[in-house]
Amino acid sequence: MSGTPAQPARTPSAGSSGPGGSIYDLGYQAYDGPRLGRRSAVVALLLQTIRACFGIGRGGRAKIAPFVLAALAILPAVLAVGFAALAAQAGPAGGAIGDASPINYASYHGLVGVLIMLFCAAQAPELFGRDQRYGVLPLYFSRVLTRTDYALAKLGGLIAALLAVELSPYIILFVGRVLVAPDPVAGLTDEIGAVPRFLLQGLLVAGLFGGISGLIAAWTPRRAYATAAIIAVFIIPPIIVAIIGDAASEDFARIIVFLSPADIVDGTNAAIFGSIPDSPVVASLGLPGWAYLAAAAVGVIGSIALTIRRYLRIAA
Amino acid sequence: MSLIALRDLTKRYPGGVTALDGLTLELEPGIIGLVGANGAGKSTLIKILLGLLPPTSGVATVMDLDVRSQGTTIRQFVGYMPEYDCLPPDTSATDFVTHMARMSGLPKAAARERTAEVLRHVGLYEERYRAIGGYSTGMKQRVKLAQALVHGPRLLLLDEPTNGLDPAGRDEMLALVRRTGTEFGIAVIVASHLLGEIERTCDFLVAIDAGRLLRAAPLGSFTERTGVLAIEVEEGAEALTAALIGHGLQAVADGRTVLLAVAEDAHYDVVRDSIASLGLPLVRLEQRRQSLEDLFRDDLPATAAQAASTGSGLPPGAPSPGGGVS
Repeated sequence: MSGTPAQPARTPSAGSSGPGGSIYDLGYQAYDGPRLGRRSAVVALLLQTIRACFGIGRGGRAKIAPFVLAALAILPAVLAVGFAALAAQAGPAGGAIGDASPINYASYHGLVGVLIMLFCAAQAPELFGRDQRYGVLPLYFSRVLTRTDYALAKLGGLIAALLAVELSPYIILFVGRVLVAPDPVAGLTDEIGAVPRFLLQGLLVAGLFGGISGLIAAWTPRRAYATAAIIAVFIIPPIIVAIIGDAASEDFARIIVFLSPADIVDGTNAAIFGSIPDSPVVASLGLPGWAYLAAAAVGVIGSIALTIRRYLRIAA
Repeated sequence: MSLIALRDLTKRYPGGVTALDGLTLELEPGIIGLVGANGAGKSTLIKILLGLLPPTSGVATVMDLDVRSQGTTIRQFVGYMPEYDCLPPDTSATDFVTHMARMSGLPKAAARERTAEVLRHVGLYEERYRAIGGYSTGMKQRVKLAQALVHGPRLLLLDEPTNGLDPAGRDEMLALVRRTGTEFGIAVIVASHLLGEIERTCDFLVAIDAGRLLRAAPLGSFTERTGVLAIEVEEGAEALTAALIGHGLQAVADGRTVLLAVAEDAHYDVVRDSIASLGLPLVRLEQRRQSLEDLFRDDLPATAAQAASTGSGLPPGAPSPGGGVS
């Protein structure tokens, strides 16, 4: 991709000082230092996007929403570990109390799902709308990264940030349960099986919610509209599925449930952890777990592809 | 190496608007003015050179690289200052320009260093740590120029860099552009609809109208044939005019000012001698150029005929593209 009229690399600051004093050249100089090209630009945009998701590098107000939501997502895990530790001190009976805790890997999705959705609604419009609102896109597209690179770096940053929020409580829960166990080695063998499960569920939730909210925000530069649209897409379909499933036809509900991102990840969670779906409607539909997993995969890939398409066609 | 080479470059927008119409042109590095009325195709040409827009037909190369297939490499060495607002208001100039340097592939430390240098070069000091939203138009234009320069481009494409500036701001921006081009040896293309600005800033002029080339030539050749000397005297303008005409020159009295067509250096001697022998109180001598618009008008039939012969396929005076596509 690169490398045609490149010049020999040179450290820009080299040779500016010598024994007995320094020469300070404060003027503008032609840059002939390293140019790391497209890959470096994409990585830089990805990292900057992750930081922006948490309001880092912005004012204090930009940090409130992401950090409050992340704290709320972690809180149940911390409480669960705390109770488990107290229960363990109570002796053998305590172990049973710990096992009966309502906060476990399988139930955690039900606790954080809404927070992940709110995180998307709060942050995606800023990530995708800002550059469009203020006309910054031409500056990106006139540099080394391509339109596809831009879309992928933005989506990747959002999904990575969601993954951090989604996985932190699982990891706290995992580490806590291992340490609280009477025999940590036995605890580790007991708990290790959950790791690939919560990693997969975390990836599906972050990918699906991040992909869909990124797609919506890329199409809706106005911040308030994008936030409203993202919340609507996650909140309204489960209600419709529930109404149709209850009142009209379960067969029809079995089809349109795949248009409801929130119900899809409820289904994948039940399939992955072998539990009962949180939503009674999803539970009553009785669809196989692989159907939800496939739907989630299609949703992730589809929303990413459509977001790229949006940026390929946007005028800049 | 040619800086830019265009062969039969044509851009038609969906909806039938033709923004560029068989443009053929070769440019050497320098400070190049791209002039034309709004809608003439200046911005379209710049966007095609950057690879932001695909051409409908024809070939365009920048630094011998094809815009279609080698856009990424071209963009590594080109800086672009768009015509319209392109700055997020909630970021500081330092943060924004550093980010843009990284988006051009500069390492982190180099990006910071270059940002400090470039912002100093464009004249932003303490205010560079404040949010851009609070900047004046002049400061915003400087940030826009800085982000175009930060990665050390070999070619700068500036689209109406004086947009929205007051006369003093225009002068400063043009001086900055001129200085950037001459002192650092960067090739610059300045698009503007204001000929006066181009005249002061550029060495070479490309004039387009309705997507077709009117003329491309060094600035001097536009003005040398029509040098007009304005001679202002306290009194005796009529006598001076008569004396100059007596020497076989073309002169017209206009109040206290005598306008003289200067074709060669010897004419200046005639002026000096005439004033001295008449003993007139001289106020000032001023080199005056006819406006470049007039020059274009004179050149129009010739270039249009030329364009027709090089196969643009459209008769002179073909319908010009509508607004909004400049």
